[in-house]
Amino acid sequence: MTEATAARATGARLAAPALSRARLTWLLVVPLLVFLTVFFVIPVGLLFATSLNPQTIGQVTVTSDLTLDNYLRFFSRSNYLLATGRSVALGAIVAAVTLVVAYPMAFVIAKTAHPGRNTALLILVLAAMQLDMVIRLYGMMVILGDEGLVNQMLRGIGLIGAESSVQLMYNFLGVVLGLVQFALPFMILTLVGVIRGIDPSLEEAARSLGASRRRAFFRVTLPMSLPGILSGSLLVFALSISSYIVPALMGGFRVGVLPIHIFQQVAEGARFQFGATIAVILFLLSAGAVAIYLRVGARASGGRA
Amino acid sequence: MTRKLITPTRRTLLKGGAAAALSAPFINHAWAQDVTYDGEVFDAGDATINIGEWGGGWEEFVRAALVDQFEEDFNCTVNWDSSFPWFPKFVTQGPQNPVFDICNWNLPNLTQTKQAGDYFLTTDEVRENVPNAANCWEFAFASGAGVTWAYMPYVYAYRTDIEGGPVDSFRAFWDPRFAGKRGTYGTENGLMHAFFMATAREYGDDQYDMAAAFQALEEAMPMKVSEFTFNMLSLIERGEVDVAVHIEGEALSLQRKGVPMDVWLWDSRPILTQTKTISRYSDPMQKKLAFALMNRTLSPEFLNAFGDEFLWRPTNSEAQITAVLAEAGVENTPEAVEAFWVPDWDFFVENKLEITDRLNGIFGL
Amino acid sequence: MTERAIPWPMMALAVVGFAYMLLPIFVVVLAGLTAGEFLTFPPEGLSLRWVAAFLQSEKYLSAFFFSFRLALMTMVVATILGTAAALFLARSNVVGKAALRAFFLSPVVLPGVVVGFALFAFFIYSGMGLSRTIWGLWIGHILYSTPYVIGTVGAALAAYDDSLEEAARSLGASPWRAFRKVTLPNISQGIQAGSIFAFIVSFGQFEVSLFLSAPNAEPLPIAMYNSLRYQFDPSAAAAGIFAITLVIASVLLTNRLVNIRRLLGRQQGQ
Repeated sequence: MTEATAARATGARLAAPALSRARLTWLLVVPLLVFLTVFFVIPVGLLFATSLNPQTIGQVTVTSDLTLDNYLRFFSRSNYLLATGRSVALGAIVAAVTLVVAYPMAFVIAKTAHPGRNTALLILVLAAMQLDMVIRLYGMMVILGDEGLVNQMLRGIGLIGAESSVQLMYNFLGVVLGLVQFALPFMILTLVGVIRGIDPSLEEAARSLGASRRRAFFRVTLPMSLPGILSGSLLVFALSISSYIVPALMGGFRVGVLPIHIFQQVAEGARFQFGATIAVILFLLSAGAVAIYLRVGARASGGRA
Repeated sequence: MTRKLITPTRRTLLKGGAAAALSAPFINHAWAQDVTYDGEVFDAGDATINIGEWGGGWEEFVRAALVDQFEEDFNCTVNWDSSFPWFPKFVTQGPQNPVFDICNWNLPNLTQTKQAGDYFLTTDEVRENVPNAANCWEFAFASGAGVTWAYMPYVYAYRTDIEGGPVDSFRAFWDPRFAGKRGTYGTENGLMHAFFMATAREYGDDQYDMAAAFQALEEAMPMKVSEFTFNMLSLIERGEVDVAVHIEGEALSLQRKGVPMDVWLWDSRPILTQTKTISRYSDPMQKKLAFALMNRTLSPEFLNAFGDEFLWRPTNSEAQITAVLAEAGVENTPEAVEAFWVPDWDFFVENKLEITDRLNGIFGL
Repeated sequence: MTERAIPWPMMALAVVGFAYMLLPIFVVVLAGLTAGEFLTFPPEGLSLRWVAAFLQSEKYLSAFFFSFRLALMTMVVATILGTAAALFLARSNVVGKAALRAFFLSPVVLPGVVVGFALFAFFIYSGMGLSRTIWGLWIGHILYSTPYVIGTVGAALAAYDDSLEEAARSLGASPWRAFRKVTLPNISQGIQAGSIFAFIVSFGQFEVSLFLSAPNAEPLPIAMYNSLRYQFDPSAAAAGIFAITLVIASVLLTNRLVNIRRLLGRQQGQ
């Protein structure tokens, strides 16, 4: 520790290496900046710009004919506004649920020292990511459908009547359940690395100072895994708010979220200008949510550092 | 119901095309030459032809039964692309720079593209250059921009182990016994579009009575909405759905696998079609190859093999109905095909924006 | 640290979580092993006939390996670009770092179809010649995979104290050596997770590929989507079984390799 502090002081005194280091640091980010500018900012920016042009089927380039019609159309229809709210709620709920379900799983994987058992658990997580979503839906239907295993079980133990069923699919709940199943491995793998990186001696120290195991976990381990929690839930939020295929299939094409409307407009109707309008709104919403989240996250982890 | 036809004039299209050609100097102008084809095998000199058609098992079968031999006979390469949807790709690239030289469609999407610009040769232009088209039934040319080579009637697929007897009318779908167990497809699915037109015809004055269709579909809710006919079959198999909009051959394949179900053909007799178009501004060699491929697709040999595999019916009067369907009484005769109805897809596409909005509203999207 | 350190409520919750995550997979795998004609659960007897059918299908198999190659190519570039950017974010004191982080993550908050279509249109009117080629598809996949690497590596870096690397440098190590010997081992978990994500996101990518995929070179999800429109057979489940088998094999293999290296390293050390 003292050595490191001393090293930092030395580094600050020697201006020349610090300068070359700054230049080196910039080199790290230039490739991605260039790549994103050419292949993301320009193409998507141009597409976004077309949202200010009147809707013309087949027209893809920006014209000088400016109008707010597309935005007026969006904001004057309740189904688009409802879809907007649903999308944001979906992202937030799925991120929260996935975090709560994934944390114990990641904790167990991180703390399993036996190499064989550890590998087995890792394989299970990776295997869960291997199935194509379209075919995974079949598995979800067998379990959650009206005639699925869960409903049969509920009927068997007499919780619901023989003819009735609980709707676990083809609605908002189904989309949440599907997205959580889809997102779990992403959250788990993000958390495992961080939990494993926590020095176990810290928790032991807390316990030796008289903290209960539960207290040591909530006061030491959980706060220390905050970077993973932030990063994982941000990824899951982004994944959920932008997903088309899971809401489409698990919601049975009856749960309107923005990606479904975008898909309809762009991929099926070739109404690019209006599709771009919905995309702009989704983008601004998510960017806002991400910014707030990063700020709150920075404050939360800033308190520790 | 008034009908508005928004068909762009050829002049405006050519003007737009000229502008596009100026801004994109790499486009070949050789399309202006006329190409004719007489049905003979020719040497294409190792040319490549781009085709758009369904993938997976469909592609595997068509390649083995038709395309491999075609490549060998004509000394060419077939670039197969199954990444649907084609419509936005066509309009993004523009008529002068066609995505595919020959493309396979369901009619609603074909009509959408046809109305968006001068993309395809007309049916007459294709007919003149495809000898096998001479033997096709008249409804094979209903699209105005391509030739239909295979079709399947629309049906209700229903489970036979339900109470209340078999489904025997179009309105049976609305029976209270099917509440929550009715199956249909997403707003942008071709089967949903046909169901919409047939519903308008049944509940309204004619197929143009959209208001009647909207009301009837609203009354059919809650329906289970699927995206694939494949997925719908698993819904029926698992009893999640008791009656569903479907197509004859595919639904029957489930019956052949032992699931207690049957089909009822809609009495308005609409058909789901496979139609191939040839792009107007393809290069001459590609266009000639497209004629040749279209000709082979319409040959009785291929249509028979295709029907045996997938239970589609052929539009060529010389081809045969596959044995399974023939045993059930299906025929390929002038009387048998006379009753078929091709909905007015031009009308549908002109009103698509409103229909999409209303259907979204009904489904709760 | 022993496994006895895992408290039982944690264990119980984890078991429930694993069950939820794996049950649908288990159902599909069993259904895909059916001896019957079509996908059904419970399966009608068990057999490998559909896995065999998948392995004999030129179409599926070539799509599978095309996706596999594309995912590997994507993983390599995304891991390098993403790790470098995450290092920058962790070390630089530039103003607006938070905005930059948000910017790097922005491709994934848009539905893949937006990114895919925007690139498709851009390739066409810019005349870049990348439209519907494997290179254009690759670019789309990199765009969509890199944020995952930045996320996981960033999380690993946040938990890691970079004064360690500076200490190594003050003791005379070159920057590269200090990074490789000190920082890299500490964030390797994050890089591994990130590259796995990049691979999986690319391998399962449907929406970005929709507009960008090239003729005769279809990624597996597109091939499957197109196939399932017109066919009702368990090949798609069989593809999943094959993929899971590959994952198990590759994890076991890498583990074995790492163990051997460790073993050799130990011997050298003695």
